[in-house]
Amino acid sequence: MNRRKAIGGIFALTGIGFTSFTGFKLFFEKASRGQLQNYENLLAELVDVIIPPTDTPGAKEANVHAYIIRFMESCSLNKEYTNFYNGLNDLQETSLSDYDTHFADCTVQQKIALLENLDGNADANSLLGKIENKLRGRSFFTILKSLTVEGYCTSQLGATQLLAYQQIPARYNPITTIKPNQKAWATS
Amino acid sequence: MNKTAIHTFDAIVVGSGISGGWAAKELTEGGLKTLVLERGRAVEHIKDYSTAFKNPWDFEFGSHLTRKDLAERPIQSSHCDATDKHFYVKDSEHPYVQEKPFKWIRGYQVGGRSLTWGRQSYRFSEMDFEANKADGHGVDWPIRYTDVKDWYDYVEEYVGISGTTEALPHLPDGKFLPAIPMNAIEKYLKESVSKHYQDRIIINGRVANLTEKKEGRGPCMYRNLCSRGCPFGGYFSSNSSTLLDAHNSGNLTLRENSVVKEVIYDDETKKAIGVKIIDAITKIEITYYAKIIFLNASAIATASILLNSVSTSFPNGLGNSSLQVGHNLMDHVVNEGTYGTFNGLLDKYYEGRSPGTIYIPRFQNLDGKTKNLDFIRGYGIQGKGKRENWESKMTSGMGADLKAQLETPGKWKVSLGGRGEVLPNYDNKISLDLQNRDQWGLPLVKIRFEYGANDLAMMEHMTKASEEILLKAGFENVGSYRNSPPPGSAVHEMGTARMGNDPKTSVLNKFNQMHEVKNVFITDGSCMTSSGCQNPSLTYMALTARACEYAIRLFKSDDL
Repeated sequence: MNRRKAIGGIFALTGIGFTSFTGFKLFFEKASRGQLQNYENLLAELVDVIIPPTDTPGAKEANVHAYIIRFMESCSLNKEYTNFYNGLNDLQETSLSDYDTHFADCTVQQKIALLENLDGNADANSLLGKIENKLRGRSFFTILKSLTVEGYCTSQLGATQLLAYQQIPARYNPITTIKPNQKAWATS
Repeated sequence: MNKTAIHTFDAIVVGSGISGGWAAKELTEGGLKTLVLERGRAVEHIKDYSTAFKNPWDFEFGSHLTRKDLAERPIQSSHCDATDKHFYVKDSEHPYVQEKPFKWIRGYQVGGRSLTWGRQSYRFSEMDFEANKADGHGVDWPIRYTDVKDWYDYVEEYVGISGTTEALPHLPDGKFLPAIPMNAIEKYLKESVSKHYQDRIIINGRVANLTEKKEGRGPCMYRNLCSRGCPFGGYFSSNSSTLLDAHNSGNLTLRENSVVKEVIYDDETKKAIGVKIIDAITKIEITYYAKIIFLNASAIATASILLNSVSTSFPNGLGNSSLQVGHNLMDHVVNEGTYGTFNGLLDKYYEGRSPGTIYIPRFQNLDGKTKNLDFIRGYGIQGKGKRENWESKMTSGMGADLKAQLETPGKWKVSLGGRGEVLPNYDNKISLDLQNRDQWGLPLVKIRFEYGANDLAMMEHMTKASEEILLKAGFENVGSYRNSPPPGSAVHEMGTARMGNDPKTSVLNKFNQMHEVKNVFITDGSCMTSSGCQNPSLTYMALTARACEYAIRLFKSDDL
């Protein structure tokens, strides 16, 4: 059983809401920065589950994991850094408890299942979810997915291969007709 | 040559932003040896646009500001990102006091905020120049549209404003380059508004982006990266235009890193004789002398210089017997914005990134039929339509399916934002905090500003009207951000040394000349007697050119 589930269990027993901010703070010490480099390999696996190689490169090849580490270390809110750091550890623990192996060694199906489980728990768009995001910061999966999408779509591989990128359009054609397999513009 | 001679010019211009650049161009081309003082660093056109050619992947953190950036720029950070932050001051180095929340967004560098401005350019109309007189707020403008009309023509032809002629009395036409055309959703919305409303229309935004080449500049390359500085000179800035022409005249001396401390007044001759600066780096004080002084430091900074220029004749600040200097601060009231998506026109797209907008000119309180019972004066709405991409699209899931969602153009989305006229109010003001000083020993600026009931009623109306416009056009997911941004967010500060007919209630006369100090001219936002709802830079430029012609005439006839 991973730490998050364990704590949930304790809260359930004692009747304290798991989402209680005070409870959260009591049980989750603020993570100190500078630790994510140790998770580079895990993150490289994770981003490739979210954006895998297909006929275009995957997020790992686009080095999106490095972008995520840079962002989280230098730009993120303290509470989101903590959520993210704890999320990585929880994921590893869940992987060990559910599949008896490290995330990197899971099958593709297992990796997807592990992340889909987190995706299902993240309900960022409901009103309650929004309030919770504001209070506690976004969840691990919400952060991971949005940074993976952003890091990939702003990478050279993502912007120029999955999407369409023009450094200098030079002209503006305000109305064009969509072509078959029209790609979305990488920048707006 | 002795030191005083080296430090003596025909004219001094304080500030090199959008109005200071114009003063520099007009005065130097008029034959006056002119010193331009800029408190910030040098920014040379093209060469110093350090991020202009960077691709998205060339930024270490994307467009995000780091925690260090946010600590340095807690206020500016709402208006800049990693791609253009170097054109915004560090609040940590340039503190001010907010007696009430007010964002003072600044760019201390050669070119000032002309590098990062929104480029929207609309004329004030006869109705705007008559507004104060008509409803009794503030004081009457000492000029009318006919006084400025030819000057609008003059600056528009030089600047290069793209737009369409519409024959609207409340938004006069100008000398336009071809407009940046509308895309499919913008055209659709324009038609919808014309169908559903008698009182409002959508026009192409009038922007200072060159749709055709001008000598040495442009045309626009449709990168929509204007705020990084344009290496193609695709939009108007002091750096790309006025300062270059001033330089080419041979009459320009530009001194960067020059923080102006005060204007020196001579009680005997009753004139200003020069300007005392502090070198921003060495902190050494230097005095420069000139027969004419133009203050173009921007509304808040210019007022602070006047208030800090104390003499026997003017114990309350230069030319401030009216006690109006620093008061009547205005900004435009803006709402956070309205948006909606449209499920249609999915076979249409665009190529190139438009720096343009659409614009809904003011449609309230124009005549008896459009009279609004909740507020006086009016607002305009700026907008833009595009198809969603990864930046705004809602996606679900992971894997190949997610990639397919990302690579497909999303729904059309239109964003609308109002800009409304703020009434002049004596209580909205800047003053000096003599107890707290900056690193140059100058008193900190204190800003006390609050929207009035009229401003707030207008804000409410612009949000409802924007939502209704989208709903009537069949948009979905229509909503507005309900928290209005703090005052100052429009970055249209003005009114702190207003023009007027009466020296008892105003600071400047009809030629932007100080009533009480005839050789000092103020042509930045300070001079504005009312705010209109139009983006004001074009008016500053026209008034500057007009005042310069007058000042040059006086200079040559030795009347100063």
